[in-house]
Order: sequence, then C-alpha cells, then structure tokens
Amino acid sequence: MSYYDIDAILTDSQKLPCTFELEVPGLGILEGNPGENIKAGTRIDLPLWLGEMLSIGARLGTSRLVTLDLPSALSERVMNALKADPRTVELRSLAPHFYSLSERILELFEEEEMVEVLSNTFKKRSAAIADHAHNPQGALGQGADFLRGLDETERQLFRVAHDSAKETRIWAGEAKKK
Amino acid sequence: MAFPLPRGITPPEISFLAEMEMVTILPRQRLEGLELLGGPVEPLLPPRRASLPLWLALLLKRQRRANILPPPWLHPESLELILEIETKDDDYQHVFSPPPPLPGQPTPRDRRPPTIRSQYTPSGEKYHPAPPFLPENTTRDHIPPGEPPALPFHWLEVGTMLLEAASDDLVEPDQTRRLLKELREVRMAKIRSGVDVLDAAAMGGGGVALTGVGAMELGEGRRFIAGVVDGLRRIGASKEQARREEMAEGMANGGYDGTQDYEDDEMEF
Amino acid sequence: MDIDDILAAVDRPDASTPESAALDHQLLTRFWVAERGVSELLPWPAALMERMMDRVRNQITQIEDLAASSTDPMSASTTTNAATTNLTLSILQTDLSRTQYLIRSLLRQRLSKLTAHSMHYLLLISRQSQQPHPSSQSQSQDSQHQQQPEDSIPAPPHPHEPTSPLSKEEVSFLHAHQTLLAGHYGASFLGSFPPQLRRLDDNAGGVSMVQGPEEKEVVFVRCLGEEVRVVVPPGDGVERETLGTTMRMGDVWAVRWEGVRGAWGRGEVEVL
Repeated sequence: MSYYDIDAILTDSQKLPCTFELEVPGLGILEGNPGENIKAGTRIDLPLWLGEMLSIGARLGTSRLVTLDLPSALSERVMNALKADPRTVELRSLAPHFYSLSERILELFEEEEMVEVLSNTFKKRSAAIADHAHNPQGALGQGADFLRGLDETERQLFRVAHDSAKETRIWAGEAKKK
Repeated sequence: MAFPLPRGITPPEISFLAEMEMVTILPRQRLEGLELLGGPVEPLLPPRRASLPLWLALLLKRQRRANILPPPWLHPESLELILEIETKDDDYQHVFSPPPPLPGQPTPRDRRPPTIRSQYTPSGEKYHPAPPFLPENTTRDHIPPGEPPALPFHWLEVGTMLLEAASDDLVEPDQTRRLLKELREVRMAKIRSGVDVLDAAAMGGGGVALTGVGAMELGEGRRFIAGVVDGLRRIGASKEQARREEMAEGMANGGYDGTQDYEDDEMEF
Repeated sequence: MDIDDILAAVDRPDASTPESAALDHQLLTRFWVAERGVSELLPWPAALMERMMDRVRNQITQIEDLAASSTDPMSASTTTNAATTNLTLSILQTDLSRTQYLIRSLLRQRLSKLTAHSMHYLLLISRQSQQPHPSSQSQSQDSQHQQQPEDSIPAPPHPHEPTSPLSKEEVSFLHAHQTLLAGHYGASFLGSFPPQLRRLDDNAGGVSMVQGPEEKEVVFVRCLGEEVRVVVPPGDGVERETLGTTMRMGDVWAVRWEGVRGAWGRGEVEVL
C-alpha cells in the first residue's frame, strides 16, 4: 500500500464481514453499543484496516480475535456473474475500488480461482474500455451504462485511453486543442 | 516545478523525434556544409542529392530552397503491398507487418546469425544505432529484387509531415493519404484486440512482443497497455508471490538448474 | 582482454570531430527518451552532458559571431551573401533550440522524479556514503522533544562521495528542496503534532512514508543485441536472478522495467 495514495487509503476503509471469536470487553462501540462488551460470535462489517489488524492473531496461529469473510463484492454470486459475462456487471456499485479491494483480499485469502476470474474480467472489460475510448462519442449513447459501472481503476484506464487517442488526433490535425 | 507531461513520450515529442529521420533532398541552391549539434550537414550543390534530417529538409522546402524525394515506402504501390500483408496474409492477422531490419539483423528469409558491427561510445560502451538514426527514409539507388517494402518506425509521422509540407513532391498524394489512414486503422485495431494476451507481460520474466509497431502507434497505445498490464500484475500479485516462494523452495532443494524458461508465456499481438 | 575491448579502445571516437557530435546527439536523444519512459531516475550521464554543454556554448558563440558579421557593413558585401548568412543563421538557431529543448525536457523530467520520491532518493544516496548519518537512530529523550520534520532528512554526501544516480547539482537541489518542504510542513501543520509524529520517514502501521518508484512498471523496449533474456531480480525468497523470456534483435517488447534494466545499462536494449 502506498502512503500518499488516496485510492489506497479509500480502499483501506472498505468494509468486510468479521466474526468475533472471543468476547472482548469494552469493544461494543463497534456495533453501536459504547461501554458494552462485544460477544463471541458477533458478526459485523469492519473497515479493511481494522479487520486485518484484529485477524492477525488468527494468521499467526495464536488466539484469534476475529475471522474474516469475503466481502459481498467478491462473493461466489459475483464471481459466477463475472464468469458468465464480465461486461454486464456493474463493478462500481459492488465496490468503487473493486480491483484494489480484490488485490488486498487476495493477500489475505488464498483464492487461485478468483485470480483467474478477475484477470479475465479485467481483460475483457479493458478491451471494451479501449473501444469506447477510441470512439469520440465514447461516453455517450449505449456506452454510458457500461461506463457508469466502471470501478476506479477502470475509470483511470478509460481516461488514459481517451486522452491518448485525443492527443494523437490533435497531433494529426483531426481534432482541435481543448 | 511541475512537469506536466505523463510518462512516456507524447505525440508532439514523438513528432520531434521523427524530425531527426534522414531524408533525401534535391537542393535548389548552394549552401556550404555545416557542423550542427546534431552532426555534420553535407554541402548542398545542385543538382546533387543530399541527405538531411527531416526538420532541416522541411525548413528548406518551406522556403522553396529544396525538393524532398519521397522515401521508397511512401509510394502508393509500396503501401498497397504492405496493406495487403497487414490484412490478407495469414501470418500477420494479429501482428504487424515486419519492420525494416536493423543493420546486421538477418531478415526472416536468410537464416544466418546477425552480423553486428559494433560502434562504441566515447566511454567505450557498445552502441547500436536505431531509428530515427538509420537511413530508413532516404532514397536508395538500388533495391534488391524481392525485398518487400516495410514501414519504418516513424512511418506515420514522416508520412503525415511530408503530406502536409511537401505533397507536391509526392506521387499521388491523395491516394497516399488514403492508404496511410487505412493502414493506421487496421493496425490500431490490432493493438486494441491484443489486450487478450497482455497477461504475458504481467508476470515477472514475461513480456508481450509488439515488433513492427510504429512510434506514434506506441505513443497512442502505451499508457493504456501499461495500465492494463499494471492492473493484471496487481490482481496476480499474490499468485505470483506464491509461485516465487515455491520456486525458492525448489531451489533450496536443488531442483532448479537456472535455465527455467517462461517460453510458454511468450505471446505476440 | 577481450577483442571487443581492444576494438573499443581503437574505435573510441575523438570528442572533437563532427562525427562524435552526431554520436553524442544520438546518445542524448536516446537517453532523453529513456528518462521519459521509465519510472526511476536513470544514472546521470556526466561525461556526455559535459560534452554536450561544451558544444552548446560553442554553438552560441558561433551564432553570435555570425550574427555580428552579418550586420557589419564591411563584410556583408553582396545581398546574395546576406541571404545565405541569414539562412545559415536560422539553421544554426533551429539546431540549437532543438538541442536545448532536449536538455531542458530531460532536466525537468528528472526533477519531477526527484521531487515525487524525494525522501527515497535522499536515503539512497546517503546509504552509499560512508559517513553515519545523524538522523533517525537512537536519539535522546531531549532531542526527541525538539523533533522537527527536517530532522528526518539525511545529511547530503560529502563532495567527493558518489551520488549516483543524481548529479552533484541535483543532490544540492533535492536537499534544499526537501529542507524547505519539511520546514513548510512543520510550520503549517506538523509543528502542532506530538514530537514523535513529526517525522517524514516513519514506518508505523507497516506502511512506510518513504516511497520509491515502481520498478515493476511496464516499459517498451527494442532489442538491439543479438539475443536478450528478460530477467526476474531476486526476491520473495528466491536469492538469485532468474531468466525469463527471450527477445531477439529488432524485436519490440512490453516488459517490466526491472526485467531489462541490466540489459539497458549494457546498451543491449533501448527504451521507446
């Protein structure tokens, strides 16, 4: 993770489901009960940075405080939808930083198949992004729905593809500056 | 101090680079030889032809002091042939037509090892010249029969600039312009459809070949390609790390002989 | 001694000939394209830049002399002569400004890399120098109390110590830049933080404040040598460099920068 990268910071605050394995005194504030204890078996959504920290014990094999689950954005249902047709899934509504979140999750969970599904998704959608970006009316018309569903990484990809195409057209005298 | 440009040279900079390509001119006036920062310029003695960097040729052309002789590839006949390779040849459906070989580089037809005659830099390092510092856009007195025409690295820039400033020196400029546009579209589509093999460049030790790509085409596609490869690398980072750790274990057990190959990953557009 | 080394010694161009001007121009151009294309700062080509700057100075003198003689009524005898002189002048001036553009763009690109990763490069050059740098390690309670953001900046190397990849001028620029920046941070917000939170090279929480360039970023290269292997540098438990895919002469590839950095240093690939 990069210290000054705003997207990395925002990714850090995306939530994932955590289940408490032990009763923790005084931590009730996490589920909106300040001063109370949090009971073993409680399931709440915590930001990635906090969940990751609390689960460290689990990964060291000592007493686990919480166990982590896959966030809903990366659930089996989503993976199946992506396998069926990567282009029709609105990644942005699942998680604004969908791929950055996946990258962090894949560090925590060993999910070989998810790597395959996500790589394939990213490639297929990138190809569509290139087609839209190359079309001067890219963001309009039928493309609009697809573009609305792009996550942050994909939006940046669309921007560089669009800008590069435009700069080249300006050089070739086919488009005006600004 | 802010530097506004993204990484990787942009279209105006690529154009600037292409202006260093040597072209052949027919001078219309005399001029003594000059010693420029870019190297010596031969004296102009009409009607003797001379080779000059494109920027200088264009400067003289705009002042009507010279005519530019079009490079052999910038001719409707050559362009038609190249377009046919790009669109009809089965071997080049997904890759670019072969570029002109570097000095000493064997063509696919003659199966001999490269014969590199090295040049050296003042600090004693080897130097291999490459475009824009090769005579890929000058006229040639003799073209060996059977040598196919090829698009040089700066084809689009040189072609566009000559069409703009010296169209009266070109053979059938309108036809040439149409063919350049067609070539550009066919080749751009190849870059876009090449996304599918980009994972080969996302793994350590891997890569994707783009041989034959033009400088401006690379300029247009580079940030997108780099973005896709970067994204794929991040998604695959955990898997790559696991693979590396397995390899480390294998090496510790003496199972690695140092010649492991990623040849399977080798892909071409 | 290798036959290539002997040839290199014989073939080494004399820096005063017009041909060596052409070669240096090609080297500068290639270096500029590479510096524009890769994420990290490339080693400063000191000898090349010195030769270039000498030539630029000579060229400026030559232009001034020619301009002076063209306005001199004694020497500008005929009008045809004057026209030719003007043409020569405009060619020399265009040539000069093209070279100046290259140098300026190169320097600006380098400064932008330096300021984007200032602490990384300051630490890099201070690690190469022999002197122990006073900052970071074991400080007394007393100085902890006085802790200012500037204290995290490593001292610049002594004048005779290596500073690669930075030039001497870049070292003094970067040190002054980071000191000003740290002072500004201190005065505008870090000063009101507890002393232990004022550093600019903190590692707390497993995230380092010092960020280097991404060496795994992809670059586009042309293979100039007969055959070049892409490499994977040591890491992730693998202790030595391993070999990857093979590029052949004339090929253009998209590969990780760290995989071809060595080959670039040997002149076997060029960055596009």
